[in-house]
Amino acid sequence: MIEDELITVLRQQRGKVVMTTPVEQIISRGHAVRNRRRAPGLIAAAVGAAAAAAVAVSVALPASRLAASHPASGSPAASSPATSHPARLPSVRLAAWTVTELADGRIQVTFREATDAARLQRTLRADGIPVSVTFAGKQNPACQPYSSHGGQAYWPFGQSTGPLNGVSFIHNPKDAYTTPYALVIDPSALPAGSGLQITTSGVPGGADNFQLDVGLVKASPQCTGS
Amino acid sequence: MRSPRLDFAEFYRSAKDDCLLAVLVSVGDRDTAQDLVAEAFARAWASWPAVSRHPAPAAWVVRTALNVGVSRWRRHRREVAVPDLALVADRPAAGEAAGLCVDPRIMAALLRLPARQRQVIALRLVLDMDTECTARVLGIAPGTVQAHLGRAMASLRSELVSTLQEESQS
Repeated sequence: MIEDELITVLRQQRGKVVMTTPVEQIISRGHAVRNRRRAPGLIAAAVGAAAAAAVAVSVALPASRLAASHPASGSPAASSPATSHPARLPSVRLAAWTVTELADGRIQVTFREATDAARLQRTLRADGIPVSVTFAGKQNPACQPYSSHGGQAYWPFGQSTGPLNGVSFIHNPKDAYTTPYALVIDPSALPAGSGLQITTSGVPGGADNFQLDVGLVKASPQCTGS
Repeated sequence: MRSPRLDFAEFYRSAKDDCLLAVLVSVGDRDTAQDLVAEAFARAWASWPAVSRHPAPAAWVVRTALNVGVSRWRRHRREVAVPDLALVADRPAAGEAAGLCVDPRIMAALLRLPARQRQVIALRLVLDMDTECTARVLGIAPGTVQAHLGRAMASLRSELVSTLQEESQS
């Protein structure tokens, strides 16, 4: 049997397997996935709103009545629920990502979960990297592809699809599933006038279910901060 | 401008069967494959603005489906002692455990291949992806893709040549 015949036989199997799940069911499940992603933000907003309401009540009520009707509200712990509750979260969760400066000055980012993009963006910018970081399929609309290096590198693809000077991926080809997503950035090697756009698609918080996309973009205050 | 829902529905209609076959070739079980592909398409819908701009959305779905499968295996292995997923996937399964409509001899031959070779076959031949794209999806070098494909084709040729030739003569 020659190669083409074998390929033909294999390709003939296409169409013999039919996906029977209706698209409406897929979209319905997709909405649930999307809502699950938004849940942490909504909870944080609710906690913040509750904190604001507590402060408003404590200001509006006379001190004597406040002490009588809300005996615990004057305590430090109860007066700052918005700050105390989120502060406890990291202690029971693994770090979502780690930023490490290597001995040669390059910056290594290891991803475990796609959460807290804003803080990662601040951290990387503080390390001198012009970068835009967004997670969960969102992108900064102010970012424009860098003219001659607009191609993106897709994790877990592991290697850049085109010239992506200044960025390298760390992965174990023999065990791509369990290797933490990690990339090393050399700010000095980025082309002049360029910055990085780091985005993810997939499920935030799911270490195995998001894909990391890195691309070169034009540096600008609105996109990369400088 | 078309609505995202219509775009996604068209993508789903055009890619769902190939994605299912690609995942089926990898995991070896029809129900599991359909479940994983459905979940992957749901996640694609949840991230449709980004996935729709992906150079190979079907590959994104297949990759996500396989990742979901690995995640589930990781969760379940803590609950019930099960063999390694790769070993399960590499088992010399017979056709009855595999795709119900795929030629059982071909499916059995495919399932006797190592997992990585099956993934290469799925992406290169089922999804018609080129070597470069396959390499990026699997996180391996293009030369490694070629090597896996060559070995897989050699194994399939040796397994299938006699049966298919007999069939063509009869």
